[in-house]
Amino acid sequence: MEILKSIYEVAWFILLVAAGVAALIGYLYSHFKFYSRSWFFPAVLAVFPALALAVFGGLLGGYAFKLWLYFLAAEAAIAAFFRYAVRGRHTVPYLLLAPAFVGLALLLVYPFVFEVYLSFHDLKLTTIMMWKNTGALPFVGISQYVKVFTTSPLSEVTFWALLLRTLVWTFSNVFFHVLGGFILALMLNNQLRFKGFYRTLLVIPWAMPQVVAVLAMRGEFHATNGFVNIVISKLLGIFPFLSHLGVAPVQWLTDYPLLTCTLINIWLGIPFMMVVILGGLQSISSSYYDAADIDGASYFQKLRYITLPLVRPVMMPAVTLGTVWTFNNINVIYLVTGQAGGTEQADILVSALYKAAFTYNRYSYSAAFAIVVFAMLFFFSVFYLKSFDAAKDER
Amino acid sequence: MATVQFKKIVKKFGDNLVLNGVDVDIKDHEFVVIVGPSGCGKTTLLRMLAGLEEISDGEIFIDDLLVNELHPSKREIAMVFQDYALYPHMTVEENMNFALRLRKMPKAEINTRVTEAANILQLNKFLKRMPKQLSGGQRQRVAIGRAIVRKPKVFLFDEPLSNLDAKLREEMRVEIAKLYQRLNATIIYVTHDQVEAMTLAGRIVIMNHGIVQQVGSPIEVYRKPANLFVAGFIGSPTMNLLPGRLSVVDGTAVFSNESLTLPVPAFVLPQKEALDGREVILGVRPDDVLVERPGGEKCSGKIEGVLEVCELLGHRENLYLKVGGARLLATVEAFFNRSPGSAVSLCFNYQNMHVFDKTTERRISE
Amino acid sequence: MKKKMSAAAKRQLLKSILLHTGLVLFAAACVYPLLRIFSVSLRPGDKLVSMDLSIIPAGATFVSYTKLLGDTMFLRWLWNSLLITLATSFIGVSLASTAAYAFSRFRFPGKKVGMILLLSSQMIPAGMLILPLFLMIMKLKLMNTYLGMIIAYSVSSLPFSIWILKGYYDTIPRSLEEAALVDGTSQVGAFWRIILPLSTPALSIAFLFNFTTAWNEYLVARVVLFSSKQYTWTLGLFELQGQYITQWGMFAAGSMLVTIPVLCVFLYSSKWLISGLTLGSVKG
Repeated sequence: MEILKSIYEVAWFILLVAAGVAALIGYLYSHFKFYSRSWFFPAVLAVFPALALAVFGGLLGGYAFKLWLYFLAAEAAIAAFFRYAVRGRHTVPYLLLAPAFVGLALLLVYPFVFEVYLSFHDLKLTTIMMWKNTGALPFVGISQYVKVFTTSPLSEVTFWALLLRTLVWTFSNVFFHVLGGFILALMLNNQLRFKGFYRTLLVIPWAMPQVVAVLAMRGEFHATNGFVNIVISKLLGIFPFLSHLGVAPVQWLTDYPLLTCTLINIWLGIPFMMVVILGGLQSISSSYYDAADIDGASYFQKLRYITLPLVRPVMMPAVTLGTVWTFNNINVIYLVTGQAGGTEQADILVSALYKAAFTYNRYSYSAAFAIVVFAMLFFFSVFYLKSFDAAKDER
Repeated sequence: MATVQFKKIVKKFGDNLVLNGVDVDIKDHEFVVIVGPSGCGKTTLLRMLAGLEEISDGEIFIDDLLVNELHPSKREIAMVFQDYALYPHMTVEENMNFALRLRKMPKAEINTRVTEAANILQLNKFLKRMPKQLSGGQRQRVAIGRAIVRKPKVFLFDEPLSNLDAKLREEMRVEIAKLYQRLNATIIYVTHDQVEAMTLAGRIVIMNHGIVQQVGSPIEVYRKPANLFVAGFIGSPTMNLLPGRLSVVDGTAVFSNESLTLPVPAFVLPQKEALDGREVILGVRPDDVLVERPGGEKCSGKIEGVLEVCELLGHRENLYLKVGGARLLATVEAFFNRSPGSAVSLCFNYQNMHVFDKTTERRISE
Repeated sequence: MKKKMSAAAKRQLLKSILLHTGLVLFAAACVYPLLRIFSVSLRPGDKLVSMDLSIIPAGATFVSYTKLLGDTMFLRWLWNSLLITLATSFIGVSLASTAAYAFSRFRFPGKKVGMILLLSSQMIPAGMLILPLFLMIMKLKLMNTYLGMIIAYSVSSLPFSIWILKGYYDTIPRSLEEAALVDGTSQVGAFWRIILPLSTPALSIAFLFNFTTAWNEYLVARVVLFSSKQYTWTLGLFELQGQYITQWGMFAAGSMLVTIPVLCVFLYSSKWLISGLTLGSVKG
């Protein structure tokens, strides 16, 4: 019975979305089609605000008249835009695009704008009920931004420490992803028996659901029952001299949480790089290597002068993406350290902003924090793309 | 079947003028080939007729009906595309009856039409296959079959043979010629290959740079090319073109340049007086350069030249000659037993000699 | 001559031995955690916590599985995940398929800007949008519901799906649609009858991508869903794993049940998925 109810609920929602899309198409189509008719302005101004009010007005009661004025003004602007700017051109592509872009506007752009709004106001545990009921929030100017740099987002770590940690985290992860991926790809790119089989096994960390993979790996780093420490203690049993070198089972999760997260994420991320690089390697024509053989190049010379430069164009976008992904990776860190009372020694910027919002309920603070992080990422990307373009021009 | 009229057709892509005032009338049951080098606007013209390209200016009529604003499907045309455009996810049969199904035609009617077309094109065995299981020639047939079942007013062919190898191309050319005799339909056929144009066309439209250069039967455009472009484009191997100057000496026109001096008879250039001192280009087809043969009445006097290279083609032989500083190509019967470097004498056949004005590039001879 | 050949053959043999050894080691590192989960899921209740490293433990039993299915709401969690995921993927792919077509086939003002917006939206940290989405869902009174989850997920993979589909549409010759137009369809008809059927590989990739993204999502679910009846499996497993000692076996059993089908689908479709992903990343 419950199952039927859940199906009904979801199906109903999909129908609602479909109806919304149809309404949107109809609305736009009428503007594209009849923009030049004499009755265009009166008709759309009469019909659409009234419809909008009928749909939304019921929910809002008292606001109704004020809202209707907004609708009227908006519709007048839209109608004028269609009559004097669009003039019925490009109907088909815009209709095809409209649903996706309205979706993105509502669920990507609007949240973003809302986040900016939040960052200049004060939404926290004590004000959230007020906001829920009235929609009003105290305006606090840039003080949230000041707090981002002066106070600690979590219980003890400062912004600058987090930033440093994030850079270390991103760099070490991407470095080992590329290194590991490259080595594995080079190994696989040989005439080899069981090649497909190896490849299949090697992509398993990527193919596994990340939650399962991370939680399982987290278990393996457990102090007494985890695979890692068991192996270390067994090794110590066989080679006692290792203990003089400082090798000993450690409390991974409490003493070295960032290292643990990094190891887990490296394990997770290598397969993607391997696959991308392998694709690049396989697209290199063997005639280059034949030519280099005739010229007498050694293995490493071939690697340096043929493989690397030719794989570069495939690798660079993947490395860029990988950098952004790693920088934004909350999953691994939160799944490893996110339990109640979990450590904060592994948090990077993005996981700190998540925890600031949902563990400490400092919503506006978290929003300002997010804007700062976004700005950093944005300038990095712009700078990076510029230098990428410049490099392209040189070639 | 139907007539087609292009009236002052203009096509612009941004600032780029692709077609500049094309006027062509195509009669009922006519096989018209539009030919020209790539980029001359011929395919654009065809696509405008099909309704796949917007018309910047001018009017197109099918059966005296203005079709400028008509959707492609309402124009009652069928088109064979250069890459065949067979729907990869449909069988041959489904490809052929797609248009009929869209028109909700009764099943029985659809079947008879498809069977008929398949018979004509020998496709019966392949009806249940997918396009990718067919060879290039078979795909070509399916594309044509898809057009035939529609019984359209006008057939449009957009370089249909250019993706085939040389041998198949010849076969399909004959097939299309036969098909035309059988269907007796209005066909507009676009190609860059002048051999296809010459062999298939009832009338040829030669285009260059978005302008119609000449319209006429294959014989007309071959015998009397209207300008230098047509002269150079039609005919294989290409015509010999010799720049020089005309003068009138003792009442006869004389063509001269550094390499040779040649009287031009009156039946080639009737209004010679007006042409005194004009810069011209003389055109002679390789076939009309007679080497080591007694010239008749209608031939020029002997000209001395040197044989540079011979190319044996089988029954014919190409001779590359040098006359003074000018190079000439002559095509003669095989076998021309002379070694390169030997001196030969040749003459031009006046009956097929062409004179073009150098500045306007127009034909000035008869 | 002969001696030289054998030296080369020896080197070849050595190389292949080294390669195989290396690959076996790496492959083991990739597979071993999965095997460990499998092993734990088979352990009898009293030996859940042990230093045993063997794959099939002594006294292997399916108790953990029966307990998981009987004592917890694991099936319900799977069902929740499935519903949410299917709905999101369906909405996402439908919206992406038409938008990608517009980008692939038409020229219109704003095309370039639109493409750039799509790409740059990939730069917004996902973690950043969780907060406003959470607040919106709260305001819409959709906390702890399927709808809230579907709304939060539905556009997250949209830019990427559009990108993949556009790339695929670009490879379909235009003449196919033109032939369809001449044959008598409208532009939309040509899309529906010709382009969509031909794009099933790309549509499946996009669907799969949407599916896996939503299926494996944890962070949004964490804040939107709070009653264990509404949990997705990711939340459920996290809960089980959190209470480490007692439910470790059930966690392992659940992990196996979730991972096996996902692995099968991934490995089966990996060829297309990878080519799609690399296509997207290479062009992006």
